[in-house]
Amino acid sequence: MTSRAGIDSSTTDKAGSQDSQNVLVEMRGITKRFPGVVANDGITLTIRRGEIHAVLGENGAGKTTLMNILSGMVCPDEGTIVIRGQEANIESPQDALRHRIGTVYQHFTLVPNLSIIENVVLGTPSRFVLALNQAEQRLREMLGGFELTVPLQTQVRHLSIGQQQRVEILKVVFRGSEVLLLDEPTSVLTPVEVKELFGILLGLKAQGVSLVLITHKLEEALEVSDRITILRQGKNVGELGPAALAGKDDVELKQRIVDLMFGGLPPQENGGRAKIAAAPAVLSLRDITALGDRGTLAVQEMSLELRASEIFGIAGVDGNGQKELAEVIAGQRLAVKGRVTLDGVEITNCGTSAAVKAGIVYVSDDRLGEASVPAGSVADNLVLKAIDRAPFSKRAMLNWSAIQANALRLIHEFEVKAPGPWTRLSTLSGGNIQKLLLARELALQPKVLVCNKPTHGLDLKTVRFVLQTLRAQADKGTVIVLISSELDEILALSDRIGVMYNGRLLATFERDEADLETIGHLMLGVRI
Amino acid sequence: MSAVPLEGFTTALLSAALIAAVPLLLAALGETFAEQAGLLNLGLEGMMLTGAFAGFFVALNTNSAYAGLAAGLGAGVLWGLLFGFLAISLRVDQVILGLAITILGAGLTGFLFRSLYGARFPTLDVSLPKVAIPLLAEVPIVGPALFRQQVVVYLTWALVVVSSFVLSRTRFGLELRAVGEHPFAADAAGVKVFRIRYLAIAIGGAMAGLAGAFLSVADLNFFVPGMTVGQGFIAIAITMLGKWKPGRVFVGALLFGSLRSLATGLQVVGVAVQPEFILMLPYLGLIVALVLLAGRTALPGALAIPYERGRR
Repeated sequence: MTSRAGIDSSTTDKAGSQDSQNVLVEMRGITKRFPGVVANDGITLTIRRGEIHAVLGENGAGKTTLMNILSGMVCPDEGTIVIRGQEANIESPQDALRHRIGTVYQHFTLVPNLSIIENVVLGTPSRFVLALNQAEQRLREMLGGFELTVPLQTQVRHLSIGQQQRVEILKVVFRGSEVLLLDEPTSVLTPVEVKELFGILLGLKAQGVSLVLITHKLEEALEVSDRITILRQGKNVGELGPAALAGKDDVELKQRIVDLMFGGLPPQENGGRAKIAAAPAVLSLRDITALGDRGTLAVQEMSLELRASEIFGIAGVDGNGQKELAEVIAGQRLAVKGRVTLDGVEITNCGTSAAVKAGIVYVSDDRLGEASVPAGSVADNLVLKAIDRAPFSKRAMLNWSAIQANALRLIHEFEVKAPGPWTRLSTLSGGNIQKLLLARELALQPKVLVCNKPTHGLDLKTVRFVLQTLRAQADKGTVIVLISSELDEILALSDRIGVMYNGRLLATFERDEADLETIGHLMLGVRI
Repeated sequence: MSAVPLEGFTTALLSAALIAAVPLLLAALGETFAEQAGLLNLGLEGMMLTGAFAGFFVALNTNSAYAGLAAGLGAGVLWGLLFGFLAISLRVDQVILGLAITILGAGLTGFLFRSLYGARFPTLDVSLPKVAIPLLAEVPIVGPALFRQQVVVYLTWALVVVSSFVLSRTRFGLELRAVGEHPFAADAAGVKVFRIRYLAIAIGGAMAGLAGAFLSVADLNFFVPGMTVGQGFIAIAITMLGKWKPGRVFVGALLFGSLRSLATGLQVVGVAVQPEFILMLPYLGLIVALVLLAGRTALPGALAIPYERGRR
């Protein structure tokens, strides 16, 4: 870290004495480069005592990197961090905790087999023999109005996601954190849980805790924040203080923020595709009902007709049955009721290999888990779904030269950055893995492509590539079912848009009828 | 039942079962610590054999049983630290490493024994005094078996309680369980993952070494190459069947100890079966137990998985 405090302090101290007393943390000129990307480009961010500060930006804007720098997971290339007026060196999560900066990660860091209270005291200084009763006492005093509703001896693995998140928050509060960083805290929550979370955040704010809310959801940022910083392509492009946010429901304010987020352009146009002709349906779903992994109803009586060349976007907050629906279409999950037909032939519950043979392919959002064999080579992964047929195998023997040629061709066609066909898949970046997965599925020349969050977590260049590829595939006649919780992705690509909530399709729109606000509300189950 | 009086026979059988359970119990308790911290030590058998040899060698030369036991424990700690260095710091595959230690331990002790003593089988002239607990030792049948034992046996029983307390009620125990279940979370919470794992495997090694030394020094008073005859592996199974809980591990060790002593007892009584069949009993029991309890063990989340910061 280079020290530039001397230069910067002269400029920032003009903010007035009242304000500078309230300043807890200042990040000055933070720059972080990753291979091929400048994730943070000279970002300056000020966190004041007792405020909720939203850091808003689309995927890949650099929000998470900025937060990882403050929480000690990533070291910046340039810039300084000043905490309570003193320059601080944060090199590990422990350093951050020592500076009373606590983090609630998007992927929780709880030990499932330990109880709530054990998770809370884990890693805190204490005597050799644990005094869990005393810790409980202290925790209850700190809790105040913050209800957990389950006994503190409950093992964490029995808790719901929302409850687990509360334990994460408790954990950092217990350590006396004055700054709480929350990375996309609502992405895993149901709408009711989101409300509860915001209640907790406001309670903490009232106790004088500063909260940094990393999010890409404008409405949520507006709902609870006192201040919003907007990031675009690694730069801080604007900060709106309490005064500017006063007119919360102002359409103009929203428009201004959206402009800042996307650089004055609407979030990518739908490349001017021609309207889909009224042709007979290729894929049709009738009253599909399916159960989730825990045996609860995940998809309820969904019906849908999709025509050739159509891109159908399914918008919804994660966990509203989208994944289960995709798996039913792909033959990977049993529909307990309803029918799936492809070109008039019923294929309900036919199993994955029959679905692939019929022309339905599925790109899961779980790229390294479900969709690929991370320890296998690029070439192996590229033939996973076609290994049973010529030219890749004949009787029981594999044809290595055909497998290699296939890999080389797809690597070239999809502009994958991979050292060679025999490289381990897990060594590639997320974007390149996603390209390979698309390449594998599209090589099967499918009639229907179902993809779940195809651009999640990718850099902007790859996002563009993936969107173009999908559009080109649709132009060839393939039906594309695009599942995403990112509205910009849905709006950028779809011809028609459906909103899923609680396992049901609430409404469908033609692309030109759809507007962000209506869909956003429907995603939260609010009908207007 | 012929010449042996029933009462004396039962007492002897019970006493033998308790003694046979000691090495199993020690090794399994040590393995409980290691596995709870995420380290699968399949080298238990080799570590026990090394402890048995080191204990025997030192006891033979010093004429002190306690020095022998200490030597066995020390040898176990050394093995534990070596295992730790390779598995924790160098992230070597734990399954291969453990099997290598088992084979190496057997080969090394066999080699040393042969080169030191050739074809002789020296016996130890040491003994650990038996301590009778007043009153309790007078209870018929069970009294003499339970309460007239060597000090080491009582200490081993005490270790069950101590281990249980340390694992569930202390900061070290909590950190140990967290490290074995979800090292990333433990690290993020400020737990020193490597240090905890080293401590756990050192404890595991120490107890395995002590278990071996108990066998050669306290129980049998001699050393024979390969004398642990698979007890290390039985201890691993006891650990898993006991679900990493010292109390349940204790029960398991007693069960298998009984099967071992029963094997001897039946031979003494002269039951007309092949002796090989009787010797097979504990292992048969193991398979039966595994079949009955199969699928009901939930392994620690990070068992046998090396930890590296920044990689999940």
